[in-house]
Amino acid sequence: MIKLINSDARWIRWLTFAASILLGAAIWEFAGRNANPVFMAPLIGDADTPGAARSLIGFIGDGQFRDAFLSSIKLFATGFLLALVIAVPLGIVLARLVLLRVALESYILMLYVTPMVALIPFVLSILGFGFWPKVLVVVLFAFFPILYNTLEGARSVKHELLEVAGSFRASEWSIWRDILIPYTLPFALTGIRQATGRALVGMIAAEFFLSTSGLGEVIMIASRTPDMANMLAAILLIAGLGVILMRGAQALEQKYSAWRGVDG
Amino acid sequence: MNNATVNGQPRIVVSGAGKRYGALQVFQGVDFEVGERDVLTIIGPSGCGKTTLLRCIDGLIPLTEGGITMDGEPITAPREGVAMVFQHFGLFPWKTVFQNVAYGLKLAGASRAEIDEKVPGFINLVGLSGFEDYYPYQISGGMQQRCGVARALAVEPRVLLMDEPFGAVDAQTREILQFEMLRIWEARPTTMVFVTHAIDEAVLMGDRVMVLKGRPSSVHEVIEVDLPRPRDRSTLLHPRFAELREHVWSTLMKEAKEAEFKV
Repeated sequence: MIKLINSDARWIRWLTFAASILLGAAIWEFAGRNANPVFMAPLIGDADTPGAARSLIGFIGDGQFRDAFLSSIKLFATGFLLALVIAVPLGIVLARLVLLRVALESYILMLYVTPMVALIPFVLSILGFGFWPKVLVVVLFAFFPILYNTLEGARSVKHELLEVAGSFRASEWSIWRDILIPYTLPFALTGIRQATGRALVGMIAAEFFLSTSGLGEVIMIASRTPDMANMLAAILLIAGLGVILMRGAQALEQKYSAWRGVDG
Repeated sequence: MNNATVNGQPRIVVSGAGKRYGALQVFQGVDFEVGERDVLTIIGPSGCGKTTLLRCIDGLIPLTEGGITMDGEPITAPREGVAMVFQHFGLFPWKTVFQNVAYGLKLAGASRAEIDEKVPGFINLVGLSGFEDYYPYQISGGMQQRCGVARALAVEPRVLLMDEPFGAVDAQTREILQFEMLRIWEARPTTMVFVTHAIDEAVLMGDRVMVLKGRPSSVHEVIEVDLPRPRDRSTLLHPRFAELREHVWSTLMKEAKEAEFKV
């Protein structure tokens, strides 16, 4: 029995995966059909109680929804990329400049563990309601996991390799190119993977608490109507987006850490 | 450069060299010279500072007393024409064998064409042909150090610094690499300073064996190795080899015993 549970045969794994998804969907369907429609909608549903799946399909032809979706993606991408291009180089710089790191380390750790939602009222009162305050919220969510992981990676660079670079009279730039960047990349990508999830949280939080927009607004409106099928469809979409981003980051992480070999 | 003879003018001159880390004086009053085609092996007990001394010659770390000159110029930083082979190999794990060997050339500003022309020759010289596209984790320790040797040779150095290069490979591989290194040196003789803790290796590789001893350590004895070159496996059977080996052994072991019982 234990042997079967731990089987690594591919088809058994796929079967287990499929069964788990089907069971989850069935539980959702059952709960949706039997609960008060104010609180819950089924996945598929029927003519009387429309399900989340139908809402999802409905979204495709809905221009208003498409605008909301694109607005969310724009917010997410802007904030996430900003966090990325600042946090990765900063992480490596901090690893190279010991005193700067010592000076900033405690702040970085503090902000890394601070729930960023707590800072939203602060952002709101200082910067107001526009697009860029919302971007700032996404940046705040995504920035610190990337910075923290990059920094931890860059400072663990093997001293031996820096010694080799010194012996071959490497310039600072070539030390970055040949050692710091390739060595740090897998660590940075771990941070980036964590940051994709966090940035999605930031995106929705910003859309809830600053001026409502995008998928956050879709969820807000659906919950007030109440249109639980629409709301669950939007949530499902965001979850799907998160899974795709996470998987993408994971694939990159594996690709760029191949050099670690078997003990990597 | 005038009057260059076979033995050569002194290329490296170390005078009154000392290194101190805080309260710990590692070595002191070290004087020696290495000629243009000289191979000097440095041997001594663990912690005698032989590796530190080699790093000072490379210009990676500064001395605290005395000075080192190379071709008459004082060493303040790593110089062109000097290459080091490390005990830890120091290969870049994300670079292939080819890219690792090309590293020094690339830093020296060699063009792509120049790299493509030169690198295969050095890969071949160390016997790694066919493994150009392998990553370090895919090859054995001995092959990794062959790659490290090729990387150092590729910049065509006038001075080769060997930091216990075969100390991290198994005994058989070590022997193979020693004879390979002798062959390579015969093909392209350079000034070589070779740090080791293996007595056989010190005698086999060196024109002279310098024994560092004491705390702080200093040059205890320099033993001329009057074994004919080219050297190969048959050198090990030379009666003179056994005598020299014995000589170094007794010098070193006396020191080792003293060190072991002096806490």
